[in-house]
Amino acid sequence: MSRVLDVVNLHRIYETKAGLTHALRGVSLVVERGEFLCIMGPSGSGKSTLMNVLGCLDRPTSGTYRLEGLDVATLSDDDLAEIRSSRIGFVFQSFNLLTRATVLRNVMLPLVYSSTCPKSERLERAVRALVAVNIPEELFDHRSNELSGGQMQRVAIARALVNDPALILADEPTGNLDSATSERVLSLFRKLADAGKTVVLITHDPEVAMYADRTIYIRDGKSLTAEEEQAHVAALQARGQYAN
Amino acid sequence: MRISDLLYETWSALMANKGRTMLTILGIVIGISAVIAMTSLIDGVKNSLVSQLGLDQSRVVYIYYWNGSETRAEDLTTIQEGVEGYEFITGMQSGYGKASTDVKQADTSVMGVSKGFFSALGMKLTDGRMLTDAELNSDAMVVVIDSSLARSLFGEDVSPVGEQIEIGNDRYSVIGVVEASSMFASQGTVYMPWQTCSIRVTGSTSFDQIVGYALEGEDMESLVQRTESFIRQRFNIAEEDDTEGQGYVYVQSIASIQEELNTTLLSFQMLMTAVAGISLLVGGIGIMNMMLTNVTERIREIGLRKALGAHRSDITAQFLMESVAICLVGGIIGFLLGVAAAWVLAAASAGALGGMVSVNGESAAVTPYVSGTTVLTAIGICAGIGVLFGFWPAYRAAKLDPVESLRHQ
Repeated sequence: MSRVLDVVNLHRIYETKAGLTHALRGVSLVVERGEFLCIMGPSGSGKSTLMNVLGCLDRPTSGTYRLEGLDVATLSDDDLAEIRSSRIGFVFQSFNLLTRATVLRNVMLPLVYSSTCPKSERLERAVRALVAVNIPEELFDHRSNELSGGQMQRVAIARALVNDPALILADEPTGNLDSATSERVLSLFRKLADAGKTVVLITHDPEVAMYADRTIYIRDGKSLTAEEEQAHVAALQARGQYAN
Repeated sequence: MRISDLLYETWSALMANKGRTMLTILGIVIGISAVIAMTSLIDGVKNSLVSQLGLDQSRVVYIYYWNGSETRAEDLTTIQEGVEGYEFITGMQSGYGKASTDVKQADTSVMGVSKGFFSALGMKLTDGRMLTDAELNSDAMVVVIDSSLARSLFGEDVSPVGEQIEIGNDRYSVIGVVEASSMFASQGTVYMPWQTCSIRVTGSTSFDQIVGYALEGEDMESLVQRTESFIRQRFNIAEEDDTEGQGYVYVQSIASIQEELNTTLLSFQMLMTAVAGISLLVGGIGIMNMMLTNVTERIREIGLRKALGAHRSDITAQFLMESVAICLVGGIIGFLLGVAAAWVLAAASAGALGGMVSVNGESAAVTPYVSGTTVLTAIGICAGIGVLFGFWPAYRAAKLDPVESLRHQ
C-alpha cells in the first residue's frame, strides 16, 4: 500500500492578540491508501488545526507534510489551491452547501475550479458522485436548502468525491445530524474506504471511531496512540477530572 | 475558472438578492442617465447653434478695416491678390428700409452683395433661385429675401417668387427665398446686387463688410494673421491706431468663433456633467456598499470556494464581475433613459419657450445629440465605476483566510 499522508513532527504556532498559541506540538502520522483514519480529541486539543494543515488550508510552522509524496508545507497559496482542487475532498460539519444553487450545481462546484476536468465531463462526474452517495435523481434539481440534514451531508460527500481526490477529509461530519442519520453517513464513509478511498475523519465523538480502521488521539497538540490515550484517561479518572 | 462559469456565478449571485441588486442598479441608472441627458442636450445645443449661426462655414473669414477712406472694389482685389490662400473675396454693404407689398409692410435690412457671397456663407435656398453672377455685377432690380421676411410680407402659404416688393420708391422682383441666417444678417433681410443697393438704397459706394473664402485645407489661423498684417501695411493702419481711433483692422475666421463657442460650451458642459457626475459617484458608493455587505454575508461561501480549490484571482474575478455587471446593466438602462430624458427636456423647453427663441420663424427646438464619444465615454465610465468601486470589496474577499472564513458564523 502506498502512503497518502506522511506527516512528521508537525508544529503550528499562531500569533494571536493574546500572544503565541502553540496549537500543534510535534504531530506525526501516516495514512495508507484506502485507510479510514479517525482523529479524536477534545475541543481545544489542536485537531481542527491539524485538519486545516492536512487540508492544505493552512501551512505548518515546522515539520514536513507529504501528500502522495508531494511536500506541501512550503507551497504558495495558489499552488495549495491547486492541491485542494485536485487531491482533497472536504466534508464539513455544517455541510457548507450553496443554498441558492441546485444539488447538481453544488456537486459540480469543485470542477469549476479544476483545470483538469473538461466542461463536458462535469455533469457525468457529478451524477456519478451523487449516485455513489445514494441521492435519488429527483432531488438533483432541488435547491440544497430543500433537503434534509442527512441528504445535505450526502450531497456534500458527493461534492468531496467529484474530483476523485486522494484524500477525503471530514471535520465532525455527523456533528449536526441525529444518531440514525449519523449512522448512515458513517456507513457511507466506511463503504467509500472499502472501495479504496482514503478517509480521514476528525471528531470528538468516541462512537464515530467504531467505523474507522484506526484511531489516533490528539491532546494538547500532540498525537497519542490508543495505549497512551488510555493511560492519560486513566490518570485523569484517578484524579476525578475525566468527564467525557 | 472559465468565463462561462464566471458569468453563471455572477448571474446566480445577483439573482439571489434581487431587491438589493435592483436598488444598486437604480443608483447607477440615475447617475448615468443624468450624465447622458446633460451631455447630449449640451451637444444638441452646440449643434443647433453652429448650424443656426452658420458656423459650419469654417472657411469664411470676416475682414473689417477702416483707414478713414472708402473701401472700394479695387481694394477687395488688392487683398485677394496680396494675400495667398483665398478662393475669393466678396464684399457687401448694408442699409435699412421698409419693404412693402400692396397690403403689408415690414422693417427690413437691405444687403448689397457681390459675387460669391451666398456660397461663402453657405446660404440655403428654400424657394426660387439665387442671384446670378450677371445680376450681381449689374444694377438689376431683383432681390432674394429671407424666409422671415417672406413670412411677414406674404404669409406662410404663398410663394413670394415672382412677386414684387417696394423699398423706398423702387419696385423689385423677388426671385428667391433663402433661410434666415442669424449670425451675419438680421432677421428679415433683402439681398440685392451691390450696385443696385449702392445706387438705390444707401447712396454709398463703399463696402461695409468684407468676407473672404479660404482655399480648401488652408490654415485659418495663419491666413487671418497674414490678412491682418497685409491690410495694416497696405492701407497704412498701425496697431496703435486701433486704440487711438485713427482706424482699425479686425480679421476673424468663423473657425475661431466656433472654437470660442466650443470653449464656452465646454466649460458649461463640464460643469453640468460634474453636477450629474455627483449622482454617479453616489451610485458608485452604493455599489461598494452593496459589495462590502455581499462579501461579509458570503464569508463562509468564500472560505468554501477556497477550500474547493478557488484561487485568489477566481474570487477577485467573481466579486469584481458582480459589480461590473451591475454597472453595465445600470449603464445601458441609464443610457437609454438619459437619451429619452434629453428628448423630453428638449421638447418641454421648446414648448415652454415657444416662439421666443424662434430662429427661422420656427421654434428653435434643440435636438439632443448623442455622439460616438458620448457612448464610448458612458461605457468606459460604467466599467470604470464597476472596477473602481468593486475592486476593494473583491480584494478583501480574495484576501480572506480560508480557515477563518470557514469558521465564520
